[in-house]
Amino acid sequence: MSDKQLGVTAAASAFQKEWFAQLRQRVFERREPYALVQADVPFELFDLLDIPAVSNQWWAAMIAAKQQAPGLLDAMEADGLHDGLCRYCSLGYASMRYRDAAQAPWGGLPPPRLLCARLTCDCIRRVFSLWADTCGAEFVAIDHAGACELRAEWWTLGRRRWRELVEPHRLAFTVAALEVLVARLEAISGRRLDRDALRDRLDRVNQQEEIFDEVRRLIADAPRCPVRMTEQISNVMATQWVRGSDWALSHARQFRDEVKHRVDAGVAACPGERVRLMWVGAGLWHDTDFYTAFEASHGATFVWSMYLAFGPDGYIRYGLDDPMAALASRTASFNEYLHNPPWAPDWIAHQAVEHRIDAAVVLRPRSMKPSASGRLFIERALERAGVAVLPIEADVVDARAWNPDAARAAVRAFLDERMRA
Amino acid sequence: MFIASDALTAAFDDAFARLGESAEDDRGVVVTSWPSLPVEIVRACRLRLVVARGSRAETPAADAQLEPGLFPSRIRQLVDAALTRRLAHVAQVVIPRTSDPDYKCFLYLREFVRTGVAHALAPTTLFDLLHSDGTHVRRYDRERTRVLVDVLADVSGHRPSDEELWQEMALTDAADAAARRLAALRRGIPQIKGTAVFPLLGARWHIPPREYVSLANQAADQFENGPFVRGPRVVLAGAPVDGTELHAAVESRGGVVVNEHSAWSCVEAGADIRSEAEPLSALAELYRRRSIGPRLPAPTPEWTARAFASADAVVVSLPDDDATFGWDYPALRDRLQEWEIPHVVLRGDPHRSLSPDDGHRLEALLDTANRYRPSHHE
Repeated sequence: MSDKQLGVTAAASAFQKEWFAQLRQRVFERREPYALVQADVPFELFDLLDIPAVSNQWWAAMIAAKQQAPGLLDAMEADGLHDGLCRYCSLGYASMRYRDAAQAPWGGLPPPRLLCARLTCDCIRRVFSLWADTCGAEFVAIDHAGACELRAEWWTLGRRRWRELVEPHRLAFTVAALEVLVARLEAISGRRLDRDALRDRLDRVNQQEEIFDEVRRLIADAPRCPVRMTEQISNVMATQWVRGSDWALSHARQFRDEVKHRVDAGVAACPGERVRLMWVGAGLWHDTDFYTAFEASHGATFVWSMYLAFGPDGYIRYGLDDPMAALASRTASFNEYLHNPPWAPDWIAHQAVEHRIDAAVVLRPRSMKPSASGRLFIERALERAGVAVLPIEADVVDARAWNPDAARAAVRAFLDERMRA
Repeated sequence: MFIASDALTAAFDDAFARLGESAEDDRGVVVTSWPSLPVEIVRACRLRLVVARGSRAETPAADAQLEPGLFPSRIRQLVDAALTRRLAHVAQVVIPRTSDPDYKCFLYLREFVRTGVAHALAPTTLFDLLHSDGTHVRRYDRERTRVLVDVLADVSGHRPSDEELWQEMALTDAADAAARRLAALRRGIPQIKGTAVFPLLGARWHIPPREYVSLANQAADQFENGPFVRGPRVVLAGAPVDGTELHAAVESRGGVVVNEHSAWSCVEAGADIRSEAEPLSALAELYRRRSIGPRLPAPTPEWTARAFASADAVVVSLPDDDATFGWDYPALRDRLQEWEIPHVVLRGDPHRSLSPDDGHRLEALLDTANRYRPSHHE
């Protein structure tokens, strides 16, 4: 594991561990409800109704990072689940369905009161239904209205002109779907959602994402990247799961201040930086050292991933007269922003230019079908923007077929070739 | 001599393959990617539906643009047709929201047009019918169905009345009743092979219903007087099939396919849904509940029990592009074991020849069915 270069990174990790311990205490000792949710559901609604929410993707990443995924994945296959099914979205399910197959991180997930997911990709309904059955919990599905019109440069429209960005029928549907969710959460918590508090929370989320926007700008403009991509992710995602909370805002500011201090002091993540890389796709959670493996040999630094950049571009919503509509406008198109043409390729190519990226390593996921779609459009858009592209086949949580030496050798050969050119 | 079953089979097999041959013929055609589009609306707008199907035909133009392993053969065929100008003259392409690959297909087609990869493609629209529950979903579905009527009415120049829509639903009921007569030939000791009956059932998506009723009844007469088909009774489960290649693989080895998971051949009665006050709500609700595809909930235990009630063996098809039906497999396996019905899982593309390994496993399955469950086909 690479050494952490930022003090705030350790604080982010410590917060998550403490948060999870408190969650277990609340559930096991006080019998309080909590929710297991997909990363793209509006966490704000759960938090405002005092139902803690654990991100499925975060938990899967934790299992993979602790090298506990192989046992669970073997158990899935032994149970007849074929190897083409999405592992990222289902590893959390496996951790509860096949408990004896691995050592769950931090004592494991307590039994949830409910599960919640947007029905984006086809597997979600199945995975979450099975998971809910396993736990004896309720599954609240938020259906996903498809986009017919995808306007250019979504990231410039989303902040102030979000009503133009999301087609009216999709916006209305998503609002209605979120209201159904709120009704269920209110019934479970015995509380009423305070709409003013929602507006206030979304305003605080805006503040948090504005801070991340500053960080992004600092990273993009600095002569050399001041903070490793892995530490960007650790700090950003720890706050995103509790976005808009006091801790999240405070931590975002500390993160920004430390990055700014490094920029002002001329400190680089990789002092010999010669090549700026971007990572396209979800994180390679079982081998995050991969991202720093080319600093010493090639001065190649991973500068960009979607995790920091998507916060400001995907979350900020100004004009909160109708907070539920603003929240719905953010929720409606996550999948399209990140994976589908023309939105994903245009955005990622734009980000590459902004960050002076030389080369992109593009994940070709083995089993995550929705994430794998749109990939060719992204690769071509990057090449048109003058960015060299290296596709790399991997599963973000399944290390069993991952050959770290071969993958590193492939990237080194790619970098050698690019640097010669 | 005119043979009704040949006419039906040709309508099933050729409708998509022949697109692009005649601009004149294509002008009244709505092309879709799966039989989950309300055909009643298409017909009421005086248009004709053609549904893309998977096949063994190579798709080089699509292969250059689509990521491998994500899209079923039917989508690759449709995209290939779009990129090679075979859909240039059709009235409209409508992609239903039956699966994520269908949705991606819609977004890709739009992008191909925007970026000039597709040079001549008919207007393309998404029919975003959702399949979850709730009044907000029903409201949304009803509205998307209305939009579909608007789109097709604009294309054809004919806006159907409520009366015309009700009439088309009644005609579908009649066609389904005729199809059920054909499906009944599969009960007990079958009088028709799956390879033969699947196209006859599927043809109702391509043939005007009055004509279909006549042809289907003639075909039923033909087979009702024919010999019984002996062999282990096989059900095809897993990812829905849209062709007869898997049927042929089973039947060339001595089995007979008596049911399959497919929107093409499903002919359940739907009269109970006609209690809606107006036709668009009725159609939206009908297709919300009865379509077959990855976005619908897993089959209920009751459905599973009914589907496998008379099976001697089950073939579960879970091809590379499957993201959904594999999740149902452990529960399905447990039920089949409980009922002592042998089964095999095939992972290959159902439109391609079986691998030698899969072929041997299928033979072993049919051998087991022959030895241990002979009562159903004596």
